[in-house]
Amino acid sequence: MNSAVARRTTKSNESSSRTVAFSLGGDALQGDSTDSYAAAAWLAGQKVLSRSLKYHRPRGAFCLEGHCSGCLVRIDGVPNLRACQASCRDSALVESQNAFPSASFDVLGAVDKVYRRGMDHHTLMTSATVLNKVANRVVRALSGLGKLPTVAQSVLDNETAQPVVAVEVDVVVIGAGPSGLAAATTIASAGHSVLVLDEQLELGGSYLADVRFGRAAAGSAVASAQAAGATLLAQTTAIGYFAEPGNVRQGVVIAAAGASHGKWNEATLVRVQARRWLWATGGYAANLPFANNDRPGVLAARAVGRLLAAHDIVAGDNIVMIVDGERGGAPASEVRRHATAVADALNHEGCTVRTVSLADVATVATSLLGNDVTAIELTTGERIECDTVAVVALPSPASEGARMQGCDVTLDPDVGGYAVTVDALGRTSVRGAYATGDVTGYLGPAAAAAHGQHIGAAIVADLTAGAQHVG
Amino acid sequence: MSDKVFLCRCEDVTVKDVAHCVARGYADIEEVKRYTGFGTGPCQGKECLALVATELARLTGQPPTAIAPFTARPPLTPTPLGLLAEDPAAHRFADDPLDISPSDKPS
Repeated sequence: MNSAVARRTTKSNESSSRTVAFSLGGDALQGDSTDSYAAAAWLAGQKVLSRSLKYHRPRGAFCLEGHCSGCLVRIDGVPNLRACQASCRDSALVESQNAFPSASFDVLGAVDKVYRRGMDHHTLMTSATVLNKVANRVVRALSGLGKLPTVAQSVLDNETAQPVVAVEVDVVVIGAGPSGLAAATTIASAGHSVLVLDEQLELGGSYLADVRFGRAAAGSAVASAQAAGATLLAQTTAIGYFAEPGNVRQGVVIAAAGASHGKWNEATLVRVQARRWLWATGGYAANLPFANNDRPGVLAARAVGRLLAAHDIVAGDNIVMIVDGERGGAPASEVRRHATAVADALNHEGCTVRTVSLADVATVATSLLGNDVTAIELTTGERIECDTVAVVALPSPASEGARMQGCDVTLDPDVGGYAVTVDALGRTSVRGAYATGDVTGYLGPAAAAAHGQHIGAAIVADLTAGAQHVG
Repeated sequence: MSDKVFLCRCEDVTVKDVAHCVARGYADIEEVKRYTGFGTGPCQGKECLALVATELARLTGQPPTAIAPFTARPPLTPTPLGLLAEDPAAHRFADDPLDISPSDKPS
């Protein structure tokens, strides 16, 4: 069950953190206070964190940046938390969900074998009404995510209700990655008020998933933005844009600030009004279509980079990278450069890294229960033993927020997905709304930072022109 | 073991499921979403929307630019309902708690 091939990097320095002990799926684990539960679990060889909804297949971390459902767990009685977005705490109880008796061995996993050719739930057991009713009951009992919290906190009490924090700024920047931080620095330097919202545990965005940049680059970009006067909020997720017809600012961005945030003691809603909006939300680590691409042990190459750059963790000993060889263009080249840098760093740590083309992959072979990756099987019949698969794919633009505001997007598989349409000044189809960085199509950290700086200057010019016009 | 190619891991939607759905005549992205359930899980399409849309373009022979995304709705990320369930009467708007304000705000 336990296949600990992951380890700390040789340059790892643990002096800044603290070792904590917690329980995961009944096993006693140790973690680092600066690591997420997902990173600590990976280091300990516990790759299976959850079971899938329909086929009860074993699942684990894939993106390690809070954008997939692979690591949803119950932590201290609170269901459906992302193990990659919570820092390890002493004596925490982390439990798997929707699995009996455990995520590593779930008897309902039989569903996957019974329906090996797939299951259409529209035509499943629809022949006999009585049978259908029974089946519905069974399915309802089996499905759904997690169970209700052990302790439900009352928030309807005036005394204990957390105030909604209302903020008005010149510019709200959503995303504290390379482009957002660069833009915030430029805009704040010009004397405008800037609020930067970022959902991750640590500020820095894709810098932290890239061994060529890492914590040092993230820290320096954060320091520059702060020195320029921008206000940065980590663990604060923009959960939506809401139009307000009567509002002179047209609408608001609502963000949810986490409980471990530091500024507030409890989870808090933040209501942001701004003169200009800048979507710098980057992209999501994406998967590629190959058989068994959902297996625990299949990670985004970007997650392997994140383990190295942000957690000082070497993902495995034998790593196979799967590259979509059919994608061309500058974004695909940049993604491959990132993958090469990750491979070089892994080689430096004594790992074996092999790269195969998506078109040549037949399937991912696993251990008997499907919990561990054992090899990649190629269409040629060749079998490459490995413990970790790294998927090299274009990150998919995180354009939901901008879409919610009405900004036009276009599907372009060569830039990663639905990219926000912008002009040379970063203007979207919505007046006052801008976008920069990977959300406009994959650029990579260096180009995204340059883009952010450029778009930041355009927003400054826009605000200045607006002020002159009004004055 | 059962070899499946997943496009949406939250709702266990495979490449075969999308092809089956299109074969049954549901070829619009919103129809595919409703038929297969892709994009309705915890990730709300973050992992699967571009993958499914690209596959749909391939299956239907349409150019990718012709495939519009499904509607984005809040919350964009898993959010505790308690945060949203406050009694409006209990709202106490903190006054500029971060000590920032827009430069055009009349003082």
